[in-house]
Amino acid sequence: MSVTIRGIGWVTVAGMGGGRGADGFSMPQGELPKLKRKDVFNDAYLRFGRIDAFSKLGLAAITFALRDAGLEEWDVKRPIGVVAATRYGCLTTDSDYFDSVVPDHGALASPNLFAYTLPNCFLGEAAIRFGLTGPSVVINEETPDGLGGIRMALDLIRWGECETVVAGVSDLERPAVADFGEQAPGSVFLVLSRDADAAGYGVLSRGDGGELLSGGEVVASVEALVKKALKR
Amino acid sequence: MSVCVVDMALHSALGDLDETWDGLLAGKSGVRPIARFVTDKYLTGMGAWIDGLPQSSDSSAVHVLLDNVWDGFGSVPTDAHLLIATTKGGIDMLEPLRRGTATNVPDLDNAALLQTISARFGLAGRGSNINAACASSTIAVAHGAAMIAAGDVDAVLVVCFDLLTEFVFSGFSALQALDPQPSRPFDKDRKGLSLGEGAAALLLMSEERAVREGRASLGTILGWGVANDANHITAPARDGCGLIQAVNNALKRATVAPQAISGISAHGTGTVYNDLMELVAFEQVFPHGTPPLNSIKGALGHTLGAAGGIEVVLGLRSLASGQLLPTVGLQNPEERAVGLVSSDVQLLSDGLLLSTNSGFGGINAALILEKGGAA
Repeated sequence: MSVTIRGIGWVTVAGMGGGRGADGFSMPQGELPKLKRKDVFNDAYLRFGRIDAFSKLGLAAITFALRDAGLEEWDVKRPIGVVAATRYGCLTTDSDYFDSVVPDHGALASPNLFAYTLPNCFLGEAAIRFGLTGPSVVINEETPDGLGGIRMALDLIRWGECETVVAGVSDLERPAVADFGEQAPGSVFLVLSRDADAAGYGVLSRGDGGELLSGGEVVASVEALVKKALKR
Repeated sequence: MSVCVVDMALHSALGDLDETWDGLLAGKSGVRPIARFVTDKYLTGMGAWIDGLPQSSDSSAVHVLLDNVWDGFGSVPTDAHLLIATTKGGIDMLEPLRRGTATNVPDLDNAALLQTISARFGLAGRGSNINAACASSTIAVAHGAAMIAAGDVDAVLVVCFDLLTEFVFSGFSALQALDPQPSRPFDKDRKGLSLGEGAAALLLMSEERAVREGRASLGTILGWGVANDANHITAPARDGCGLIQAVNNALKRATVAPQAISGISAHGTGTVYNDLMELVAFEQVFPHGTPPLNSIKGALGHTLGAAGGIEVVLGLRSLASGQLLPTVGLQNPEERAVGLVSSDVQLLSDGLLLSTNSGFGGINAALILEKGGAA
């Protein structure tokens, strides 16, 4: 079974946007743009200013992907899933939070920061903003290709758990407190749908060995997948 | 394809599986004064913590916690797919790091924990960590069951764990979510949760392979469902919409009617809003009457990402013995829970057990469990 790529959104060191009309896509090393609400939303979405940097990054890329797929606007909640792979998750937020605990044995612990010390919370933010009631899961894997979330999304669709899943990868720059290996910072999400007739950026499937295939070719990484899809 | 649980183990504040089961049946609680860190500035000094977990600057206590689980766990086929479920993994290592007493933090990397567990059993693959807050291990079991049901694999090892650390404790205290007393799930005077720590492991297998290898089925994962409230980051939807959707999805997957459910292992954190939300949701799902339900969190504390896995293990024991465990801490049931929940053992008639969990980010997950041949 194959699924259609209906939308693509990203925030990387090279820029941000979604779909073919956006600026060129790539995932170089470097410093990510400091996201402001107006970079992403046209309305007064004040909540965006209160969430942590990891959540802002992922929420922005999900927004661009849904917008590109024509799924940003909604009236009734929709059973759309969200799956994100991440290596470092919210470790930067964890550090910031625990720095609020240390000085006075926890008397000054920040409840606002603590709420974002779970890496899946940005998926909750996306669910609230866009009315997404499908499964929302963050996964950690050792593989550096960033494709774990997309593989899981394909499975969810194939198993009949969801018709549509927003899936991708999201990581801030390497935190000061840890080094788990080189990982290009950035957030990239794809809107994947069972509807094979939907216009989009091509189809994805799983090979006999579980590998991810795009147009019959093995996909090496999220970056390669998106570059190929945007050329289509 | 039918999905069996062929091995299971856990470790909680009450001990291993047998000790935890016997303790819970006796109404024993693992919640007690915390001696692990200073609690003067927090809402409470109580938690369900495990004796003997090292508090070191060199290595996370997760490793010893898991060693405790492996003591009660058998062999795992090397082709089993690994799914772990933890919300904060080796977060105990962040504390010495930020306090300036440590510099090496490999255990903060969930991928490194995957590697350790994979190597422990000589597994061919490294697998994934599933992080969905307090529904993490419920979803890991669901995902493993779905993989087997689809014929993608025929064996999945699910391992779940979370620690009681000052990192987590301080946060729930800051959110005003801790009960100063040991938590009282579904009690009308409940004031919040008690935190706990623990771990569980389950080996899932296709029925065909279990039979072929002569492994007894301890129970079957019949159905599963996952849904988001799309309502609030740290609070449940008051109408229980996400939990209702998750349970209905699980019933649909299991192809059973609500009347087939004879008991519920509820999330039951002891917070005002969670417990009420669950009761509201169950009233919707079971219009002809909510089955008897319980929560073990008054005794074991809320073990976060490990909670669902621990509750599946104990739920399968409940089905095997026909006993729904007491809700420790309960004194005066919430009005909606009168007649449904008890501080004593309740008889579990033949039928299926529904096990549910919900968490930050608005996530909800439900599993439907069927009695196996032995437990």
